[in-house]
Amino acid sequence: MENNPAELEALRVAYGKMQALNDNRGWIYWAGYHGFPQFLCWHHGRVGRGSQMPYNLFLPWHRAYLLYWEHTARDQDSKMVLPWWDWTSRGSHTIGIPKSFAVKTVGGKRNPLVSGPRPTMPGVPAGQTTRAPGPPADLPTAAEVSALILLRNFLDLDTQLEDVHDNVHGWCGGDMGAVARAAFDPIFWSHHCMIDRIWYLWQLKNGIDNIPDDYKDKVLFPWDMKVRDVLDINRLGYEYAHGSSTLVIKT
Amino acid sequence: MANKSTKPAKAAPADGGKTPKKYVSPKISIETVEADASRADLIFDGLDHSGASYEARVFLNNEKATADTETTPERGYAGSFHIFGHGGCYGDDITHCQIRGPRRPYDPRPGHPLTPARKVLIATDALKQARATGGDVTVTIVPVVYDPSPKADYSDILKLESISVASYG
Repeated sequence: MENNPAELEALRVAYGKMQALNDNRGWIYWAGYHGFPQFLCWHHGRVGRGSQMPYNLFLPWHRAYLLYWEHTARDQDSKMVLPWWDWTSRGSHTIGIPKSFAVKTVGGKRNPLVSGPRPTMPGVPAGQTTRAPGPPADLPTAAEVSALILLRNFLDLDTQLEDVHDNVHGWCGGDMGAVARAAFDPIFWSHHCMIDRIWYLWQLKNGIDNIPDDYKDKVLFPWDMKVRDVLDINRLGYEYAHGSSTLVIKT
Repeated sequence: MANKSTKPAKAAPADGGKTPKKYVSPKISIETVEADASRADLIFDGLDHSGASYEARVFLNNEKATADTETTPERGYAGSFHIFGHGGCYGDDITHCQIRGPRRPYDPRPGHPLTPARKVLIATDALKQARATGGDVTVTIVPVVYDPSPKADYSDILKLESISVASYG
């Protein structure tokens, strides 16, 4: 993404338009599903429908949320592609937040990737999101991600990957450090895209269908999907290839 | 096999100022951690996550550990877990963040977002090392808040219900 000006520009255009909209196509509306005001995100497990024991839909719920988000953003710019933020990369361990999400202006205009609007909340006036990132070297490492991929059990992966996810939220600080406000920050989406990518890499090694059977029919409210619907990303129309090429044959 | 300390969390005296209070456990048995265990975990249940995000640094047999203690095996450091905190209450009143009572039959809604959390810290080497020198350990948890939420007091941020040790052959 950093080296692909066209994709970066499409992302800026899509996010900029969403941030300017105040209706149900807009930034605050869609970010508001995660924390304030709807608080529908899954973190840390809950007692939910059909169970008296806590379970956690952290990974499948956020996969569905990313899917809805990306389609909503692509309504504003059809070339928009949600990029993942590889916080294990050498670049992130050198500068922290990627430059494309950190520079305040682009071409003399406000960069819509540096912050997003958040609404008035009880005790907090409306404003733009801010960050207070930690030292770049404190971000999770590639070795930590490799260790996650070696886990064999989905519930084990879910617990350990969520902890790495929690670490990055805290590292970013500011709005990203609070469940109630995090999704209003543009980097939230690329952080969660990285989490989704790690789950996919784990699935490639351990099986797309590798999840307890009693999870598969759990509903990912408010998304019109069950867990089984989000297990195979190819059926959702996206992938995590670093690159690809196509030979067009017209016979 | 899990050994559980069922005593409620009791915070150690504050280090002063707004430094979050740490927790020092009573002795917990680790006799079930075999020298050839393939994995050993410290499991923290009933963690509150209503406040700011924080890192919880876990030390074995080091009751004096603070946020300034080196995170090395020599200091008893076993690893960290992290809490992505709610950031305080954003409801119209405080009842917004009170966890509802027992689930009603036929209630289809997801459970309360502030249901206490479980964290599993894979600490195989640290637990084996501690087991080599004794049959029980104290667990010291030092919360480190990097960026306090404007709506959440963090001086008493670490609240948990139990610590367990689980080992696998």
